[in-house]
Amino acid sequence: MNGGAAAPLLEAVGLSKNFTIGGRLSAGGLKTVHAVDNVSLQVWPGETVGLVGESGCGKSTLGRCLVRLYDITSGELRFKGEDISHYGRRQLRPIREEMQMVFQDPYASLNPRRRVGDLIAEPLRVHGRRTQAEITARVRELMGLVGLSPDQLERFPHEFSGGQRQRIGIARALALEPHLIVADEPVSALDVSIQAQIVNLLADLQDRLGLTYVIIAHDLSVIRQVSDRTAVMYLGSIVELGQTEEVYRAPAHPYTQALISAVPVPDVDRARNRIVLTGDVPSPINPPAGCRFHPRCRFAQDRCRTERPALRPLADGRHVACHFPLTASAVHPVGEAVSA
Amino acid sequence: MLQVRDLRVSFRTEHGPVRAVDGVSFDVAEREILGVVGESGSGKTISLLSVMGLINDPNAVIEGSIVYKGRELLGLSPRELRQVRGKEIAMIFQDPMTALTPVYTIGWQIAEQVLTHNAVSKRAARDRAVELLTAVGIPNPEASVDRYPHQLSGGMRQRAVIAMALSCNPSLLIADEPTTALDVTVQAQILELIQKLRRDFGSAIVLITHDMGVVAETADRVMVMYAGRVVERGTKRDLFKAPRHPYTWGLLDSIPPLDGPRPRRLKSIAGMPPSLLALPKGCAFGPRCRYRFDKCGERPGLGGSHGHDVACFLSPDARAAAWSGRLLDTKAVS
Amino acid sequence: MLGAIVKRLGQMLFVMVGISVLVFLIFFATPGADPASRIAGRNASPETLAAVRKDFGFDRPLPVQYALMMERLFITQDLTSFVNRGWKVVPAVIDVAPVTLSLVVGGAVLWVIGGVIIGLVAAATRGSVLDRTLMMLGLIGVSMPVYWLGEVMNLITQSRFHDSWFFAWVPPLGYKPLTSDPVGWFLTLVIPWITLATLYMGLYGRVLRANLVEAGQEDYIRTARAKGLSETRILVRHALRTSLITIVTLFGLDFGALVGGAALLTEVVFGLQGIGKLTYDALRSLDLPVIMATVMYASFFVVVANAAVDLVYVVLDPRIRTA
Repeated sequence: MNGGAAAPLLEAVGLSKNFTIGGRLSAGGLKTVHAVDNVSLQVWPGETVGLVGESGCGKSTLGRCLVRLYDITSGELRFKGEDISHYGRRQLRPIREEMQMVFQDPYASLNPRRRVGDLIAEPLRVHGRRTQAEITARVRELMGLVGLSPDQLERFPHEFSGGQRQRIGIARALALEPHLIVADEPVSALDVSIQAQIVNLLADLQDRLGLTYVIIAHDLSVIRQVSDRTAVMYLGSIVELGQTEEVYRAPAHPYTQALISAVPVPDVDRARNRIVLTGDVPSPINPPAGCRFHPRCRFAQDRCRTERPALRPLADGRHVACHFPLTASAVHPVGEAVSA
Repeated sequence: MLQVRDLRVSFRTEHGPVRAVDGVSFDVAEREILGVVGESGSGKTISLLSVMGLINDPNAVIEGSIVYKGRELLGLSPRELRQVRGKEIAMIFQDPMTALTPVYTIGWQIAEQVLTHNAVSKRAARDRAVELLTAVGIPNPEASVDRYPHQLSGGMRQRAVIAMALSCNPSLLIADEPTTALDVTVQAQILELIQKLRRDFGSAIVLITHDMGVVAETADRVMVMYAGRVVERGTKRDLFKAPRHPYTWGLLDSIPPLDGPRPRRLKSIAGMPPSLLALPKGCAFGPRCRYRFDKCGERPGLGGSHGHDVACFLSPDARAAAWSGRLLDTKAVS
Repeated sequence: MLGAIVKRLGQMLFVMVGISVLVFLIFFATPGADPASRIAGRNASPETLAAVRKDFGFDRPLPVQYALMMERLFITQDLTSFVNRGWKVVPAVIDVAPVTLSLVVGGAVLWVIGGVIIGLVAAATRGSVLDRTLMMLGLIGVSMPVYWLGEVMNLITQSRFHDSWFFAWVPPLGYKPLTSDPVGWFLTLVIPWITLATLYMGLYGRVLRANLVEAGQEDYIRTARAKGLSETRILVRHALRTSLITIVTLFGLDFGALVGGAALLTEVVFGLQGIGKLTYDALRSLDLPVIMATVMYASFFVVVANAAVDLVYVVLDPRIRTA
């Protein structure tokens, strides 16, 4: 799966990100939100890693930490072997050319007062190494690459549809020829038929340009489609990490199993073995003791209530953070076919 | 119970009339769940808002017929409509975070609806609120009734909204994308709740969504809309096992499968939905349809057999050929 | 909770101290403000000036003078004016405060009730002739300078039409204390109240209408309509409650400022000896102790009014309570 590469392109080791809210004099005092809690992840060149989880699991925060949009509270972040955990802005500049981010909301991530051509050209201008003519040529090339007509350079974002705006966002991210793109919910704000177009576009671009992706989404079907490996997050940490096929076919962590079983599938023949989790996701300010998932877990035992499981490898190479991972004999989450 | 015939809603704008809903007809029988599927601009929300009389825009022109339990709703005075709204037909909306007034407790808001339509005491209304919160599975209903919306999570708020909508035992509940803004595990809970409530309360439900998976799980019958028109209509089984309209095929293909072989590329529908200001002549889906031929320059009517209707000129043979071609395509890319 | 209160009081104290220091420093930086020469008189000899300086302590360093003044103002309360010798400042302020208070409180009652009614009616009949007329009247009310309106009112009520039955009851300009002559108190203040309120009624009406119209777009209003509630109930019970927050903010600022003396022009026009008039006179004669006392008084009220507004928020908006 490494494609023969010797070292990962991006590596997070024990990465944590905390936010503090309140103050000593406010109600409840100083509180720490453990948005990302001791996450270790490797991203190899050419692969797509999918980060999936529900709201509050920390996947978006992790994505931003990976491209150093946020400072990390503790742990290490290495890009191409270089430790960028504590780089300042100036040191990050050359790194920024190599890793870029595509954001979720195509309606909010483009400055409505700038023309589309300027928006795409901006990274080129900021890293200022080309002439105006070169920049314009590159912008036209990029627009063609993402499936937009280069004649629309002069238009404003509001003149485009959601799907087209997302393409503009992608073109902007590609401007500096990055190696790594982190896409935060790239399709969730789009209609289903447009989602398919953008998913296909991302796959095409990866083939043509040799990109490495980290795709963050809450939609399990999309993650399955695009990812080589999948990491499932819950309350700030990774609970399962492995080859996408295996994670989906026979999830080892009870949360993954419940998550997959909860997705409604457009197939009338399947009886769903739905595992309905009780309660809501706990607050990241006051996470439960021991295993974070134990209050909602069907299989919780005493050890789960007191001891926090670490992410450990299984025999098949997958990593699970669970004291009693599910074996292959567990029930298939999507359900058996009912009748012919 | 509900019969909508030839509903047309257009808005006068400075660029000309925008036909948001263009001749939509459907029925809802008692106790059935009708799934209305479509993407943005399909007109699904506006059609159902007109049933409730909730379109407040002075530039809106609404024509057609909406008959509820034998009574024509279009043309009723605002006061008569208000007696139907909330009592006979209830509606819940997409975003539970902003659906409730932030300054009143949820118990107060539920009681308000009860008191508006029933001449009971405040005490009785409050008791009813507690009863409803229990029915929708909100923990600790006696205490929760006095909580404010911001003290509840998204899933809990949506349950409270559902409880409020059912407070006067409506015969019809319209749910506009009730789970889109929620996490998938919470969505599963809410969908289960909706089905349970259909059993316990006996209401018919119109479920508007863009998610074919939700429809497959929950609906009895399904209606697919595109550019303000109905393109296919039938039972759930008909629609998923033997869909007839190329747009329906496209929608089903666009969904990445959760199990089974993974397609190399998703079969997406080329192009974009049309602007409602400039609908194409003839079939609205024509410009994006792979199977388009000359007849498609005329607008197809909705017709079919055995309750499975489609608005498409493809002959049954042509359709079968296209369908098997499509299956071959799918197999080829896995 | 307690921490929040302590923090708040600390902020208030800090603001007031800061203002007092600022006023003090500005006074001494103002040209022509040398108090010694003012006290000693125009053509005083240098020896007299020096004697006056020593007498009043002007030769002491500034921080000491500041400390002394604060002590005399707040603790011993025997601070005397620089201009009118022997005139105690603190009692002077306390004497005129009721005048301003009567004027502003009465005006406030009028303008709040009036503004809310205008805003509600305009929002309910949005787009109609009535709505547009009300907004136009509101705009006119906001645009008329209060001193001009006041003089016009005087012109009408005191001279031109004074003899007609309509305005015969209007007494001559001046103030009658509430405790000694309630009816007179009321009559002298009616016209000033209307004058003061006109400006604010227009403003509040327009602001409230805008807020109500905006609130009408909110999702929870759509839910309320889907429940089958009447438009009136939706407007008053749902939209108004949430729009009140803006009104309360405005009110806190306006009320605090007016009580502190911003109603100066109204007071002058109607011959009411209130705080505003006192401050004005002190500024003209550059009488630092009086200025200091009135500024402290004013800032106290502004600070208190803002704190009160914050308290009201907590009542109005439950979301703030748990924060």
